[in-house]
Amino acid sequence: MSTANGKIRSSAAEALAEGRVTLVLGWRKKDFWWQSPVAFVESAAEAEQLTFDPFSVYNPVKYLLEAAGCHEKVGVFVKGCDSRGINRLLQDKRLEREQVLIFGLPCSGMVDPVKIRAAFPAPKICEVARDGEELLVRLSDGQERVQTADFLLEKCLTCRHPNPVVYDRLLWERVPVRSGVDALRFARVSSVAQQQIQERYAYWTRQFSRCIRCFACRNTCPACNCRSCIFDQAEPRWLGKASDMSDTLNYQITRAFHVAGRCFECGECERICPAGIPLQELNRRLIMDIDKYFGPYEAGLAPGDLPPLGTYRGEDPAGFDES
Amino acid sequence: MKKIAKTKLQELWQRLSAEGALHLPVRSDRVVEFVRWQEDVSADLDALNAFLPPKKYFYPQTETVLKYQFEDTLQLTDVSSLAGEKTILFGVRPCDAAAFSLMDKVYLGEPVDEAYRRRRESTVVIALGCLEPEETCFCLAFDIDPGKAPGADLLAADTGTELVFIAQSSKGEELLAKLNGVLQEATSGDENKVKDAQERAREKYVTRVSVHGLAEKLDTFFDSVYWDRLYRRCIACGTCTYLCPTCHCFDLQEYAAGRSGERIRCWDACMFPDFTQMAGGHNPRPTQKERVRQRFMHKLNYFPRQHGGEYACVGCGRCVRQCPVHLDILEVIREMGGAVDGR
Repeated sequence: MSTANGKIRSSAAEALAEGRVTLVLGWRKKDFWWQSPVAFVESAAEAEQLTFDPFSVYNPVKYLLEAAGCHEKVGVFVKGCDSRGINRLLQDKRLEREQVLIFGLPCSGMVDPVKIRAAFPAPKICEVARDGEELLVRLSDGQERVQTADFLLEKCLTCRHPNPVVYDRLLWERVPVRSGVDALRFARVSSVAQQQIQERYAYWTRQFSRCIRCFACRNTCPACNCRSCIFDQAEPRWLGKASDMSDTLNYQITRAFHVAGRCFECGECERICPAGIPLQELNRRLIMDIDKYFGPYEAGLAPGDLPPLGTYRGEDPAGFDES
Repeated sequence: MKKIAKTKLQELWQRLSAEGALHLPVRSDRVVEFVRWQEDVSADLDALNAFLPPKKYFYPQTETVLKYQFEDTLQLTDVSSLAGEKTILFGVRPCDAAAFSLMDKVYLGEPVDEAYRRRRESTVVIALGCLEPEETCFCLAFDIDPGKAPGADLLAADTGTELVFIAQSSKGEELLAKLNGVLQEATSGDENKVKDAQERAREKYVTRVSVHGLAEKLDTFFDSVYWDRLYRRCIACGTCTYLCPTCHCFDLQEYAAGRSGERIRCWDACMFPDFTQMAGGHNPRPTQKERVRQRFMHKLNYFPRQHGGEYACVGCGRCVRQCPVHLDILEVIREMGGAVDGR
């Protein structure tokens, strides 16, 4: 990965030094082995801190909403999933293509710290680095090699687009799509969908009973890019502040429907939910329905796409399916 | 001092649940959560941080504080006098127990919050000493001993195969006396085992940061350019505040319909833009910079300045683990000059 870091650092440093951009969004390393937060890099010297490692998972694209307002042009590193977020913003007219310089990073999947901790005693883990198909886990008393595939984030196991779909420069060779991805993509949602409606309701109310309405799912989502969110309005207040189920469902169902046909399956909402609510099952259920009623569609693959629910065709289904 | 084999805990839960609503940390779905005990569940004795801290028992996310009805005259019902079901909290970790004491400074200081006081007094807190730290634990930085919880009514010390119960208040002694049939008398040998376990635990923990003199240092930090850089990563969600065992800010809301209604108090987060939104539209904390600054200054400067030098952080590590963008207090303390321990 050191060559990857070299390419990232020199690309960012070059673009900054030449004045093509005044800010670059990438990732850097922090205190713990599993922390690779987004870095805001404004000079060639600062570019030295940039890192792309198995934990560079957070999608930097949402930051473009604010950054593009303060900088003429922003450089941004994107994985496959992140790049679809850029198309999301372009389609939603929240970003202009010439406002960003996009460095594409083909990505063979990010690592789940929970799976690593389950396999190794956490206090001993010092570093987890990629080495070909393997992960090198450096411990305080030695090191071990494991197969990367066994430790990937669940969302990466169902990723159909590991290679960026929009970019100015691709920094290295494309990677193959994982085999078996299509079978896994709807596996969880299918098993819930097969349940009776009462069971499904019980399942979802149990999941949402844990929702504390921290809004992390909304705030991290590039598809949630309204200038002002209805749920933040105090006058009138559309969403009660009391933590009761009807308001939680009001929030969660509205959120899911608002990103229907626009969700590009980055899975960040589910990954960062502190309450462990399986939000991606909801998103994928809506994708399943859109595929069924409007034809197969994947969001964020091209900047000029018209999302199925954002356009009208004469042959669109008009009835209600009550299953 | 009494004890019980870990294999017999179901008997203990059964017995405790007869003394009050028993709540303990349970693993279900993808998280560990404090929930009410039922026949078929058992406590997760290994998890250190429940997803939500047990502050929710004294300071619930939503509570009605007042009901009103207007017929010929206005009728007010003060519902705070109804709070306080007899409750037993088992498995509170020392950091979360220490957070209760900090929360007490706010809600039991003048003016006393009646509902909070009633809930606090009707609850017996049984703390569970820690043996192995998570990598994000830094309770020692705040002088919290991972094996001890002086503020709890009872301490359950984990000696490996047994739990040894030590009463630390009259409430704790009373409860312990009622558990005679279930618990065995502990011996001086057990007392030594507890001390050993506490000693070993303490050695495994690292302080990570030093907060010595930090509050004073921050007196002049309000206008620092540090905040200009720090906040940019923050996505303004409420994860850090809602998961924090010491965050205690709330909002009051009216739920009115026709001629009656209620006033509720609910958790609010200083990370949210509308937290300081005024009725006329002015917002004294207009950007995320001011909001992020507020959270850390409150914990590390304002709170200690108002409450005898105590920081509003117990080093539980929830925000370190859960912040989606890895913006946490450990980083802030370190960058403000608190040294980091090596491993």
